[in-house]
Amino acid sequence: MFNKRKLLLILSVTTGFFVSENVQAQSDSVGLETVTIRGFAPERFMSGLKVQKMDSSALNNFRFQNISDLLSLYTPLAFKNYGHGQLNTVSFRGTSANHTAVLWNGLNINSPILGQTDFSTIPVAGFDELSVQYGSAASIVGSDAVGGSILLGSTAPAQSLHLSIGRQQESFNNSQTQLTAQYGKAIHPKHIFSGKTSVYDGRIQNNYPYTERRKYAILPSETFQRGLVQDLFFQSANGRELSAHVWLTENNLTLTPEDTAGREQTFTKAYRTMIRYGHKAFHFRTAWVRDIIDYAKGDLSRPDHAVTDKFSNRLEKDFSYAFGNNSSIQVKAGGEWTYYRAQVAGYVSPVNSENRSDLYVLTRLQATSRLLVSVNLRQAFVTRYNPPFTPSLGTEYYVVRNPEYHLKLKGSVGKSYRVPTLNERFWKDLGNPDIKPENGWNKEIGLEQNYLPDNHHSFYTSLTAYHNRVKDWTYWNASRNYRVENLQQVLAKGIELQAGWKNSSSEWKSGANLNYALNKSTQEKAYDAYSLDIIGKQLVFVPVHTGSFIAFIQHRSTRLTAQIQTTSKRFATFDNTQHLDGYMLANLLAETTLHLNKAKIRFQGQINNISDAFYLNVRNNAMPGRSFALSLIISYNQPAKIKYF
Amino acid sequence: MNKQLIRLAVTASLSSFLWSCNQSDPTPKGNYVQGVFVINEGNFSQNNGAVSFFTREQTTAEADIFSMVNNAPLNGGVQGYAEIGDLGVVLVDNSGSGLDKAVIVNSNTFETVTTIGASEIENPREIVAAGNKVYISCWGSNADYSYKTGYIAVIELPSNRFVKKININSGPENLVYNNGKLYVGTVSYGGGKTLTVINTSTDEIEKTIALNGAPAPIGIDANGKLWVSAGTQAIRMNTETNTAEATLAIGTDQNKSASNFTFSSDRKTIFFVLSYSDANYISHGETYKFGITDAQIDVNTPFIKRLFTGLSVDPSQGLIYAAVTPSYAQAGYAVRYRTDGSLVDSIKVGVAPTGFFFK
Repeated sequence: MFNKRKLLLILSVTTGFFVSENVQAQSDSVGLETVTIRGFAPERFMSGLKVQKMDSSALNNFRFQNISDLLSLYTPLAFKNYGHGQLNTVSFRGTSANHTAVLWNGLNINSPILGQTDFSTIPVAGFDELSVQYGSAASIVGSDAVGGSILLGSTAPAQSLHLSIGRQQESFNNSQTQLTAQYGKAIHPKHIFSGKTSVYDGRIQNNYPYTERRKYAILPSETFQRGLVQDLFFQSANGRELSAHVWLTENNLTLTPEDTAGREQTFTKAYRTMIRYGHKAFHFRTAWVRDIIDYAKGDLSRPDHAVTDKFSNRLEKDFSYAFGNNSSIQVKAGGEWTYYRAQVAGYVSPVNSENRSDLYVLTRLQATSRLLVSVNLRQAFVTRYNPPFTPSLGTEYYVVRNPEYHLKLKGSVGKSYRVPTLNERFWKDLGNPDIKPENGWNKEIGLEQNYLPDNHHSFYTSLTAYHNRVKDWTYWNASRNYRVENLQQVLAKGIELQAGWKNSSSEWKSGANLNYALNKSTQEKAYDAYSLDIIGKQLVFVPVHTGSFIAFIQHRSTRLTAQIQTTSKRFATFDNTQHLDGYMLANLLAETTLHLNKAKIRFQGQINNISDAFYLNVRNNAMPGRSFALSLIISYNQPAKIKYF
Repeated sequence: MNKQLIRLAVTASLSSFLWSCNQSDPTPKGNYVQGVFVINEGNFSQNNGAVSFFTREQTTAEADIFSMVNNAPLNGGVQGYAEIGDLGVVLVDNSGSGLDKAVIVNSNTFETVTTIGASEIENPREIVAAGNKVYISCWGSNADYSYKTGYIAVIELPSNRFVKKININSGPENLVYNNGKLYVGTVSYGGGKTLTVINTSTDEIEKTIALNGAPAPIGIDANGKLWVSAGTQAIRMNTETNTAEATLAIGTDQNKSASNFTFSSDRKTIFFVLSYSDANYISHGETYKFGITDAQIDVNTPFIKRLFTGLSVDPSQGLIYAAVTPSYAQAGYAVRYRTDGSLVDSIKVGVAPTGFFFK
């Protein structure tokens, strides 16, 4: 009843369209994806929504940096940054930091107490795959996916043995070291074992040779970051797959570390563990995540302590029916149950626990070879109250579909919701047990084209317009002593343009990517006399215009990359009376790889902020000027690839 | 809480300012020779405080004169401002540790003269001018919020010399200078109930006066008496004997707190804000007044039915200047009232206005 081969075929076709700008870069791992993607990829039900898969060469360029460095160049996501190595939250399509779901192998890893992710604690070294899904996909991924989702994934290795050691040394006494081992072996004619063990250690000391830039102070800070990633995969020829995933992270940030009386330390730890099992159409996942935040000021020995545990189980069953020549319908029905337990110093009761569960049905109808329709339904249940029923409808239609040219029209309408964070409900005095879940409607329409004039060139363009209205938007209301309320109604609307070009011949490769986004994100409702000053004004720290341009040229194993990102002014107050100026940053990267038998040595040199541009962070402190980084990666590859079934 | 440094600065430094003016160039040059300065605390985490300025005839303000003149920001919340002659001192509180400072400017042009930073100035609260010195109440590092690291910083002008720190417990806050004596109050949640008197010729603590609540010195009235608020009481003190002559209850509701005390221009009336937070953490409050010879304070009839984050009276025109903070995330307003409580106008200023300085 489950036509796996057909599903895999459909999958690789659609994935190919989603990632058409980087098909070449992925070619060495295509065989793997068909095996690993089936269990968790929510992307296949995201018809009509924009999903951007990051190219492995981009991940490779950024492997010593954090995810926000990469996303701010390759996507229109705007980051609310407090400084290098400091708190960094996202605004996706003009929404707040709470409106982006960050999924690790399908599990939402936003902090349950804060409802958001500090992107400075997510290094690119922590995962193998990265996709960015634009717009609300709450019917598919659940709470928080209001502005968009970031999908991080682990993949089974391709090589039977791959070892690498890497080190990056940067200006200001900043460095990162990484060790990775990937391994795999057939342990039985019908069973394969493979895995990855990786550790990273980052030291951001920020020893700037200046204490201010253009008379704006630079806040001294240091960050020590460590992590361990362990993935294990067991796969059998009859379609069983068992995998275990562990991701442990530690991030220790200290502001003004020299000032022992006034320093502020935020020490976060995350223990993320997961076991997945799949057999044919059944998929089961169980996960346990513990987040710890210790905050101390001055005396670091007695921090405020917050621990949250999240225990999550999910069961899914896939159904697939084929009819006619080109038509098929796939259905994924699933249920998820999550138990939360939080011990937070500032909460009313010392221990708070709650249950959340979700039931969902995701469908994907390939009506004709040109028309694809997805209908997704989800109902979430939360202890004490229930979020809204969340449906979505998406469709994609090939207006033109030739081997050398594709033109696709897509559209989507979906409900979104966000379950209030634990802080919003349980925080002493300022929390609000009666706070309602936010809800909204996201509508979008897009056009995507691919042009492959010959075997060397490929062109990709996508244009998307969206309209996302969020009601009961929560706000820590300053005029009520920062008590949280469902005060705002926000309309975020905009246009995104992405274009890519790639060229490759036997010796030379080159390519360029262009991104531009226009985003108007405004408060729609007045809630007191003086809020008239903020109606219709752009939300704080959400730029109206963002753009980036990346170009590279490669000769054999030597590659030169230029990156430019630009951001228009960001308002600092809700009435738009104050703003931080717009800026443009440019980076230059050069890398070369030496091949020595089974070993490879990669050198990379990087100049960041090459023009020494001046810009400010949300604290109104200066960001650093030009900096340099050198990295070296030595790797060993056993040439034999793992033979998957 | 009690953001009254302007009034303090006005009441205490006016005489020395006039004296200084008499000594110096009779017609100083600059854009800020005459008018109203507004102290804006800004949003603490954004370090976006500012000094706004308008002349008395204007109905619009320049939101941030320091940035405009110096092409650089103050880089923090503005806590206070005082002047001695041609020099002004702006107190700046940054959200990061070690970045607080007292910025000394030309008081007529607002150009920076010099800056005194950490470790002399840490978590500055209020400033008052006395003779050729300014006194700045500071909480110190106060990392554990136990209010044990506070002090008064003494800076001499025009030499811009840091003179010394005088240790004060419980979070030193409001300051009043009168006739060789500096009266130091403490913040309401600092746990202290002691008014400290500092002799400004020796810069040593001369006396401490125990009261029934956290003391906030208000100023010297038309009869030369010192007024101090302590908890829900207003106390009239004899400055010679340092003893209370009258103790007036500010209502009987212990949930309400009185703040932003200020004198009328004839120094015979005291205005103040009485406020409380309801179960939903919404602040409510009104503005009241009483006379310096009244036997009791009437808290049944508000003078203005509004709550303000700052309150001052322009000594030259007598108009009441009230600061409105709609939220820390948008610009506030300076609202002007006549002495009968009727509204004159409203001027948009910086974020979180808390006080005014008149010249």
